Amino acid sequence: MRNHSFLALVLALAATVAGAAPPPNLVRPPGTHAEDTCTACHMALDDARLRTPAKLTDNDIHHAQGVTCAGCHGGDPTSEDAAVAMNTAKGFKGKFSHQAIPEMCGSCHSDASFMLRYAPNVPTDQLAQYRTSKHGQALAKGDTNVAICSSCHGAHGVLAVNDARSTVYPTRIVDTCGRCHGDAVLMGHYGIKGNEIAEYKQSAHYAALVTKNDLSAPTCKSCHGAHGATPPGVSSVSNICGTCHVTQRERFDLSPHKDAFAALSQPACESCHSNHAIVHPQDSWIGVGKDQTCGSCHSAGDSGATAATAILAALSGASKGLGGTQQRVDRVQLAGMLMDEAEVKLEDAHQAFIMAQVEIHTVNPSRVEEKTKAVLASTGAAERLAASAETEIRYRRTGLFVSLVVIALAMVTLIFKIRGMER
Amino acid sequence: MPAVHEGSVISRRAALNWLLGTSLGATLAAALYPVFRFVIPPEVAEAPVNRVLAGKLSELPANTGKIFRFGSKPGILVRTANGEIRAFSAVCTHLNCTVQYRPDFQHIWCACHNGHYDLQGKNIAGPPPRPLEAYKVDIAGDDLYVTRRA
Amino acid sequence: MRIFDRLWQALDGRLELAPLVDFATHKVVPQHRHSWAYYFGGLTLFFFIVQVATGILLLLYYRPTSEAAFESVQFIVTRVPFGWLIRSVHSWSANLMVLAAFAHMFSVYLLGSYAKPRELTWWSGFALLVLAMGFGFSGYLLPWNELAFFATRVGTDMVSKVPLIGGWLLKFLRGGEEVTGATLTRFFGFHVAVLPMITTTLLATHLAFIQRQGMHVPEGLEEEAATRRPLRFAPNFMMREGVVWLAGLAALAALAAFFPWELGSKADPFASAPAGIKPEWYFLFMFEALKLLPAHVLGIEGELVGLGAFSLAGLVWFLVPVLDRGSRIGHRSRAFLALGWLALAYIVVFTLASMAGAFK
Repeated sequence: MRNHSFLALVLALAATVAGAAPPPNLVRPPGTHAEDTCTACHMALDDARLRTPAKLTDNDIHHAQGVTCAGCHGGDPTSEDAAVAMNTAKGFKGKFSHQAIPEMCGSCHSDASFMLRYAPNVPTDQLAQYRTSKHGQALAKGDTNVAICSSCHGAHGVLAVNDARSTVYPTRIVDTCGRCHGDAVLMGHYGIKGNEIAEYKQSAHYAALVTKNDLSAPTCKSCHGAHGATPPGVSSVSNICGTCHVTQRERFDLSPHKDAFAALSQPACESCHSNHAIVHPQDSWIGVGKDQTCGSCHSAGDSGATAATAILAALSGASKGLGGTQQRVDRVQLAGMLMDEAEVKLEDAHQAFIMAQVEIHTVNPSRVEEKTKAVLASTGAAERLAASAETEIRYRRTGLFVSLVVIALAMVTLIFKIRGMER
Repeated sequence: MPAVHEGSVISRRAALNWLLGTSLGATLAAALYPVFRFVIPPEVAEAPVNRVLAGKLSELPANTGKIFRFGSKPGILVRTANGEIRAFSAVCTHLNCTVQYRPDFQHIWCACHNGHYDLQGKNIAGPPPRPLEAYKVDIAGDDLYVTRRA
Repeated sequence: MRIFDRLWQALDGRLELAPLVDFATHKVVPQHRHSWAYYFGGLTLFFFIVQVATGILLLLYYRPTSEAAFESVQFIVTRVPFGWLIRSVHSWSANLMVLAAFAHMFSVYLLGSYAKPRELTWWSGFALLVLAMGFGFSGYLLPWNELAFFATRVGTDMVSKVPLIGGWLLKFLRGGEEVTGATLTRFFGFHVAVLPMITTTLLATHLAFIQRQGMHVPEGLEEEAATRRPLRFAPNFMMREGVVWLAGLAALAALAAFFPWELGSKADPFASAPAGIKPEWYFLFMFEALKLLPAHVLGIEGELVGLGAFSLAGLVWFLVPVLDRGSRIGHRSRAFLALGWLALAYIVVFTLASMAGAFK
C-alpha cells in the first residue's frame, strides 16, 4: 500500500512535469469527496489560520469533485504522521508564492484533456488569457500586488462561477474587482483613478443587474475580459458595445462620425456615453448648448448643430405626443372605457419611438424623422379612439342628466299631487 | 266666473295627472331601457380570458410567423421550417417592443435593438434579458387556439 | 276597467282578499314632529330591491373564479351595453342601502321604538343589518381586484382570533388556509344564494311584524300624535314614500354618472399588500379602532380584546329591549338614550376621520 502510493506520487510528479493529468490518488475520480488526513488533522488545529482552509473545503468545488489538498499542495494524504504527510520528499509544496499560483491552477485548468473529465464546457484558456492581461504582465515583472486566480476566485472554498455565492457571480463580481480597483491609493500606483467601480455603480448597466437581476447586463469582465483583463483600445470600443447594442452600432457605422472619430483617434460610443457611468441617455443631451453632448465638438451654426436641432425637435415632438396621448388614454380607461385598440396604437408608437432613438446614431435627421412621424401617426390614431370614448362618456352623462331631470319632474309632480289630495 | 274657476281647477288637476303619469312612465322607461339593452349580449359574447382564436392553420405556411392579440397585448404564432406550430408572447423582454418572425434567420427577432430569440422563445442574442413567455397551441380543424397559463 | 273589476272579483271570491284591502285602506301612520323617521325603512327596502334587480342582471355575465372574475367584471363594464351603469348602480346602491339601514336603526333606537311589544321587530332588524354587512363583505371580493383581495385577507383574518373555533371559522370562510379562488367561489355562494335566502325570509317577517303592530309613537309625542290627523297608509303615506324612493333613484343615477365605480387592478395573491388597504366604509369604525389597540392589553392579544368589546357592544345593542327595563312600561332610561347618541357619535366620527385619512 505504502509502496503503491509512493509510486503514485512519483508518477504524479512525473505527470506534472510532463503536463499530463495528476495521478488518481491525489485527484480522485470526479464526484468523490476528498476527505483525508489533511482535512482531518487541520480541522482539529487551534490555529485559525491553519484550520480555516480545511473548513472551507466543505463547499469547495475541487474538493467535492475529488481534488484533494495534496492535489495542489503535494505531500502524502494517507499518512497520519505530519512529518511524513508534509514531507518535501513526498512532493509537499506548502504555501504557494503569489507568482506560483497561476501556473499551479493552470497545471490542471489549461489541460483540455484533464478538464474534459470534470467540466467539458469550461474553457481551458484562462492561463493563456491571464498572461496577456495587465495583471499577468505585471505579475511576470514581479509585481505581487496584482490579482491572481485566488484574488477573485478564492483559494480554498472555490465555488463554481454560476454559483450565486461565488465572488465572481455576475451580481458580485463588481465588488470583487472593487476590492482592489476601488482603492484609489493602490490604483494610483498604476495611473488608474480608482473611481471606476463607483462610476459603474451609477450606470444603467448596474441598475439592470441589481434591480432587474438581469444577469446578462454587462459587468467589469463583459468589456474588459475576465482572465485577460485589459482596457479595450480606442478602436475596439464600438466593437465591444456593439456586441450587445448591435443596431446602434450598425447605425453609427452609417454615420459621418465613424470616420471622423477614427481620424481623431476618438473612441466611438464612449465619446458621448462615457465609459463606466453609462446612464440611460436623455433626449435633452442632443444639442450644442452648455452641458449638451454634441457641444463638446460642434458649435452653433455648423452642420452638426443644425442636424442636432432637427433631431431634437423631431424627438421632443414625438415624446410630447406620446406622453400626452398615454395620459389621455389612461384617463379614459380609468373612467371604465375599453381602450384595447388605443393601447395597441400606443404600443406601436412606443416601438417607433424606440427605433427613432436608435436612428439618432446615424445623426441623420431625416432617418429620425421617418420614425417620429410613425410615432405621431400611431398616437394620432390613439387620440381619435380616446376622443370617441370621451364622447361616449359625455353621452352617458347627458343621458343620466336627462333621466335625473325626469326623476326630479316625477318627484315634483308627485309632491303637488299629494298636496292637492291632502288640501 | 266661478264656473271658469272650477274649470281651471279641473284642467289643472288633469294636467297634473297627465304630467305625473308621463314623468313616472318616463322614469320607468329610463330604468328599464338599460336593463333591456344589458340582457342582449355584446358582439364578443365572452370575456377573453386565457384563450383566443389566434389564426388559421391554412394561413400559416412553414417558416412564417403571425402576430395575434391577447386583449391589448400582442402574441406571436410561429410555424417552424419543419411545420411545428408554437406561440409566444410577442412582447420583447427588453423594452416591450413587438417581436417578429424572421424567415431568413428562422427564428424570432426584435427590430428595436436586434434581440434574437430561438424557436423555444429563449433569448439567444442581443439585449433581451429573459425568454419570451410560451403559450399553448391547440389545433381544432383549421383553427389555432392559443392558451396562456393563468 | 270592467276587466279589472272582474279579475278582482274572481280573485277575491277565491282568496278572500277584501280584508287585506280593508286593512291597507284603514291602516294609518301617526303624524308628529319625528314622523320623518318612518321613511328610512322603506328607503332601505328600495335599495334592497335595486340590489336584487341589478344583482340578477350582473349574474348573467359574472364568473366566480379567480381566473375569470376580474375579466368578467371588466367585460361587463367595458363591453356589455349599459354594463357600466348596472355595475355602478349595484355598488352604489349597496352602500346607500347600508347607509339607509344605519339611519333607520338609529332613528328607531333614539326614538325608543324597540320597546315592548316590538322586541321581535328590533331583533329581526338587527339581524338584517348584520346580513346587509355580510352582503357587503362578500360582494366586495367578487370583482377580484387588488384592494378587495387584501381587504378580505385582513377581514377574514380577524375571525381567526375568536377563541376555540377561530381556526375552524377562518377555514370555513376562506375555503382553505388562505384567500384564494376557493374563497371567491365560497363568497359568491354566500352572496347570491345563502344570504339572499335568509334575508328574504327575515325581511318578510320584519315587514309582517310592522304591518301587524303599526307604527310606534315615540315617548312624549303621544299628545301631539293624538291631536294631529294621522296619515292614511294608502295612498298618502305610500305616495310620500314614493317621493323618497324617487330621491333614492335620483341619488343613484347622479352617483353612477359622476362617480362611476372603479374596477381597480386584478388581484395578485403573491404581490405584497398595497398601502392603504381599507374595508368598505361601514366597517371602518371597527377596523380603525382595532388598529389603534396596542398589541397586548392586560396580557391578552389587543385584537382579541377589541373583537370581544365589539361583540359585547353588539350584544348590548341587540338586547336593548330587554336591558332597558323602563321601556316596557313607557319610561325608557336616559342612560340608554345617551348610549345611543354615544354610539352614533363614535361611528360617525371614526368613519369620517378614517375617510379623511386621520388614521394614517
